[in-house]
Parts: sequence; structure tokens; C-alpha cells
Amino acid sequence: MNTHHEELTLKKYFQNIWNGIRTTIKGLSITIKHVYDVKPVTIEYPEVREVIPEGSRSRLFNDVQNCISCDQCAVACPVDCIYIASKPRPKDAEKIKTSNGTPIRRELTQYTIDTSLCCYCGLCTTVCPTESLTHTTDHEYASYTIDHMKYDYLDPEVVAWRDRIVK
Amino acid sequence: MHKEIADYLNSVVSGAEAKALEAEVGDSSVLVASEHILKVCQALKDSDEHQYNVLQTISGVDYPEGVGEDKTPVIEVNYMIASFTKNTEIILKVRVPRGDDENLPKVDSVCSVWTAADWQERECYDLVGVEFVNHPDHRRILNPYDWKGHPLRKDYKAQEVYQGMTVYPEDKQNIPEQDFIVEQNKLNDEAKAAAKKAREEAKKDN
Amino acid sequence: MDSTENSGNGNGQNKYGGEKLKSELLTVNMGPQHPATHGVLRVEIKTDSEVVSEAIPHIGYLHRCFEKHCENIDYRGNLPFCDRMDYLAAMHMELGYCLAIEKMIGTEIPRRAEYIRVIITELQRIASHLLFTGVYAIDLGAFTPFLYCFDQREKILRLFEEISGARLLYNYIWIGGVWNDIKDGQLARIKEFCESFPAELDKYMNLVGQNKIFVERTANIGIMNAEMCYNYGATGPVLRGAGVDWDLRKKRPYSIYEELDFDVPVGTGEKGTLGDCWDRFAVRQQEMRESLKIIKQCLDGIEEGPIMGKVPKVLKLPKGEIYMRTECARGELGYHIVSDGGKVPYRVKAKSSSFTHTSMLPEVAPGLLIADFVAVIGSIDIVLGEVDR
Repeated sequence: MNTHHEELTLKKYFQNIWNGIRTTIKGLSITIKHVYDVKPVTIEYPEVREVIPEGSRSRLFNDVQNCISCDQCAVACPVDCIYIASKPRPKDAEKIKTSNGTPIRRELTQYTIDTSLCCYCGLCTTVCPTESLTHTTDHEYASYTIDHMKYDYLDPEVVAWRDRIVK
Repeated sequence: MHKEIADYLNSVVSGAEAKALEAEVGDSSVLVASEHILKVCQALKDSDEHQYNVLQTISGVDYPEGVGEDKTPVIEVNYMIASFTKNTEIILKVRVPRGDDENLPKVDSVCSVWTAADWQERECYDLVGVEFVNHPDHRRILNPYDWKGHPLRKDYKAQEVYQGMTVYPEDKQNIPEQDFIVEQNKLNDEAKAAAKKAREEAKKDN
Repeated sequence: MDSTENSGNGNGQNKYGGEKLKSELLTVNMGPQHPATHGVLRVEIKTDSEVVSEAIPHIGYLHRCFEKHCENIDYRGNLPFCDRMDYLAAMHMELGYCLAIEKMIGTEIPRRAEYIRVIITELQRIASHLLFTGVYAIDLGAFTPFLYCFDQREKILRLFEEISGARLLYNYIWIGGVWNDIKDGQLARIKEFCESFPAELDKYMNLVGQNKIFVERTANIGIMNAEMCYNYGATGPVLRGAGVDWDLRKKRPYSIYEELDFDVPVGTGEKGTLGDCWDRFAVRQQEMRESLKIIKQCLDGIEEGPIMGKVPKVLKLPKGEIYMRTECARGELGYHIVSDGGKVPYRVKAKSSSFTHTSMLPEVAPGLLIADFVAVIGSIDIVLGEVDR
């Protein structure tokens, strides 16, 4: 409610009307300028796609060949969405290393990330000592059921997905 | 500064038992007797020297095992008070016996000093379970009005059924699949057994 | 109502006889799903025709147990949850939390990280105020400014996505520094933005702020004077809109704000009374200009060097407590962190300004029209994520 009462004189009455017209015209001129001067800023999505910046944090990917099963990502995760299972490699087995030279002592038996729980905070990728766990720029992966959001990175299909999406 | 305020409070409010708690790291605070909190707050606001005109927040902390040497379970209510004219701030503390759900600890409401206390005290009551005496509108604020328990108490357990709904049902819980854990445990056990066996064999050889 | 009450009694008396008409207040539930309440706020309004006689806010629909979560997760793991409090100014939420912990463990922050923090948070303030400008115009019935504001906000979000990797919930400011370094190209783009943006600000003021219809809707509406603000503990643009020169960046400088030169805009009551909706709007517009000033100084002064200070890998806070206040886009944010010396906090309490400002609604509401009440809710710029935590 207008608590501020000023006496309305005839002069003020016309002044108000003039102010209304003046400011409206001013605003309209800005919008009209936008119609002709400013290029469209929107894109037509499915046909035209934006290039996602390189550092964007989207779907997680674990390159299992470089994973040493150190469990640090699962510990760092604030929502506990990473499940790791591993067993020690037999002593007499062939010695293998990751791409940066860290020896792999345990054999990964399962590496699952529940993407429906993931909050994309990126804490897991920063603690990874071999940089096998990374965020990719793939962001279009809607699925029909919530069970499909669980990604098993030892699954050959997921590995194939990686080759397709990540250059 | 905290010492001065404690002295001032002791001189103005009889029985305030104000005591400055100097901390080595972090913020120091002033502890006062819980019965006199209303008078203490009024005195702090009215004094020309201090002019604490803004109540920032009220933060309750549950100590089921007591604070420091004293092992009696207490709830600490922290009043963050600031002066926007003198540009100072202070943490004012009261400690009350912890009580239980039926018998909540009682502290006088400071709504008459700062209106800000209204919602802050409601929040403190809702989450920590401190009853504020003479509060004008003593209801829960963040949780539903018929919720049971006070979540920020350390021994809080959520009720099982709320209005016919199961609270936190099992299929919504984030537990890694059962066989998953079993498998992991089995692998660990196997590894341990193998290591033990190897050690024993090494001993035998020696 | 009794069915016989209003029916004719057969004696020829008027069916709707004046003395028999009941007059009572009508209860209207505004929200929780109401576009004008900026989220899931429910306000129970008692109305006398179209005039609000009482308004009772009901909050808690977005309560996500932030404080309880914090007691179970280590200090670093809490950062993503801080983001989710005020999702429109997430950088500010992180900054307050990190500053509190850094003060407890006594870490020295590298100069470059300090500069980056200030640049990023001031950009975030602009982004948040831009959203306010656009959404407030929508609240009052103008759609076009919203699109212009989002166009500009998009530029900032794009920058944030490149710098931190996310558009809304960044987890960028870390305990001890910042996550990524800003590249020179990105700094150049920020500079470019700073140069082009003042023209846009003029545009908003001409299109929205000075418009006669907008002024009529906001001037003299929802007056929150200085005394009331102190009493309720209001801070930020609401307090400054009431003409009080109070800004934590000036009064209790944290980070490197001490070295920076900027003004604190306050409300003047230019279009109506001091502390009305228009003043709060105008203060936010001027704050964006001041933020630009700060960013420009930081861009000139930024130094080369490391971006992370020394922080132990397993973070443990010494026993004690701290209450840290920072100036966010919506007002003061205070973190009360109690540590028992362990890996997880003993208690984290967040004092949010939106919560405080929401508590002022019942005092302002009586006597307003419902449409004006919407204008008041919009002008205090609350984010329900921060109210409910």
C-alpha cells in the first residue's frame, strides 16, 4: 500500500503522464535496438551444439588399465558413489605398470560408479595418483532406468564408449 | 576485550558469573550463567560503551560427553552478537544440562531484546532441542511441525515411520550391493590367510 | 457455513441481508510451487479483499540437512555441500567456509590465489545480481530484461565453466587456495567483459530502473528502515538499501579487500522513501559497478606464483571454534565451525542472510496488496537453498 501521500496537483498529474510516456519510449527504443543490432545469442540445440570447454566436469571415466586400486577416490568421494573391489596379484605374475610408471600390485575386479549419486564435485579426480580417473566432456547420457546409471568400467561396452567419445 | 566485557557484565548483572574463555586458536568467547541470559543481552544492547545492536545467529552445540574437564552432558547455546556501530563482535555462551526429548533444557528467550532471535531460537529448538521460555511463537521451523526428535543432537535417530511413510527406506539407501561387500571381504580374508600362511612357512624354513 | 444462514427466511427479507453477511479474513496459500516465491517458499497470507493483513512464511521445503552432513564428512568433502546452499552465488559460500578453516589452521594463501579468489567472487556477485535484476523484472511483469540479463550472465558462467569446470556448483575455491589457475586468455576475456558491461548496466537502468511503471510498483513499497534492519539482523543490500553504510569488505576486510579501492553504495530514497524496494534494486545495480571496479584493480595487480598454500593432506583442525563472516551477494554469511581436533567438524552452523531476510516478511507485509507483497519478496532476493540449508 502506498503509505507516502503527496498532494496531487494538476501539474503533477500531467508530469506523471509525461514521465510514463517518456520512460516507456526510452525502454522501447532499447528493445527495438536489440532487434536489429544484436545478433541472436541462442542456438538451435539438437542441430547446433556448443563446444563444451575442455576442463568441463561431466561424466566420469576410469581408464582401468592405469588404475592401481588404491581406493583413494572412494575415500575422497563425499557421497560415496564409487565402489571398488580388488584382490592382490599373485607374486609370480608378470609385472605390469601404468602409463606413468606406477607398478600395479592389485588386480581390479570391479570398479563401479553410480552416476545417479555423483555430484560432479571432482574431488575423486584430484586425488587419483595415476590420473586414470578423469572427467570427460560427455554430458548427454540420459538413461531409461536408474540402474543404467551405474557404470561398470570393466565392462567392454563402456571401454568402447570411451574410445568413441574421448579423443 | 573479552575480559573487559566479562567484567562489565559482572558489574551490571548480579550473578551473571561471566567468564572470558580465551582461546589459543580461533575465537574467544564469554560464558555466562544461563539464568541471566536475558538480562545480560539487555545490558549488552543498552550499554553505551558496547552497543551490541545486532544478533547475528544462535548456534546450539550438543556435548553429550561434557566440555573439557567437566563431564556432565551439556548443550551449549552460542549467541553471535555484533555491534554495527562500534564494529565489534562477540560470542556469548550459555551451558545448560542436556536433558532428553521429554525434558528439554530451558533458556530464556531474548526475543524482547532483538527480534532476530525469533527465528533463530526456533531453529535452535528445532535442530538442537533447547526450549526457549517466553518465546512468542515456539514452533519448529525447518522440520515438519509434527516431527519427532532433534536432528543435531549427537545421539539422534530418525523416527522409523512418519505419517505412514517409512523414513529413509532401504531401497533409497546408498549401500553398495551386498554381494559386492561379501566378495570384497572374501578377497581380503583370502589375502590375509595367504599372507599368514606365507609367514608361517617362512618361519618353518628358518 | 451453515446452509440456512444466508438463505431467505420467507419473510420477504433480502436473501443477502447486510447484517447477515459474514466477513472474515481469507487465507491464501502462496507457494510452495509459486513462480514468484523464488523456490519453495510457502507464505500463508490472510487477506482482507486484496490487502494482506498477515503473512506467515513456512520454510523447510528445501531442507537438505547441510549441518548434519557436515558432521559426518571430512573438511574437504564438505565443500561441494557448501556450494549447494546458495546455488546462485556458490563461490561466496565456498570462500566463507575456506576462510574459516584457513584461519584455524593458520595457512598462508599465495598472493595469486587471493587475487583469483577476489576476481571470481566479484564476478559471481555480478552474475547473482544480474539474475536478481532479470527475475525481479519478471516478478513485476516485464519479460524482456530477463533475457538481456541472462545473456550477460551466460558470459560469466561460460568463463566459470572454463576456469572451474562447472557452471553452477563449482567446488573451485579450496582450502589453501584455488583449484585451477586462470590462464592469460581467460583474464583477457574478463577484462573485455569489464569494458563492455557498464553499457549494459545503463541499459538495465533505463529499461527497468527508471521506467515509470517500475517506479510506481517499487517506490514506497515494503519499507525496511535502518532500525528494523538492525533489529532483525538484516545485512547486505537490504541494510545498505536502508541507507546504512555497512559492508564487511570495508569494515572487517578479509582476503585482500583492504588494498582495493571501492565505494559502498547506499540507498538514497531517490524515488520514494529510504529503504523501499526501489532503493534495494538501485543498490544492487550500483554494486555491480563497484564489483567491476574491484575486478579491474585485481586484473592490474595480479601476480605470478603458486595457487595453493601448504595444507596437510589429512586435514585436522586444532580444538576450538571460529565464527567467520563474509560479505556475500545477498548479505553476510557466517560459518560457526566447532572442532574437537578430529578429521570431521564437530559442528558447522551456517548463518545465512536469506534466512534473516525471510523473517522480516511478516513485519513488512501487513497493509500491502498481494501484488506488492510479491514485489517485496523479490526485492530481498532470497534463495531458498540458503534459507533452508
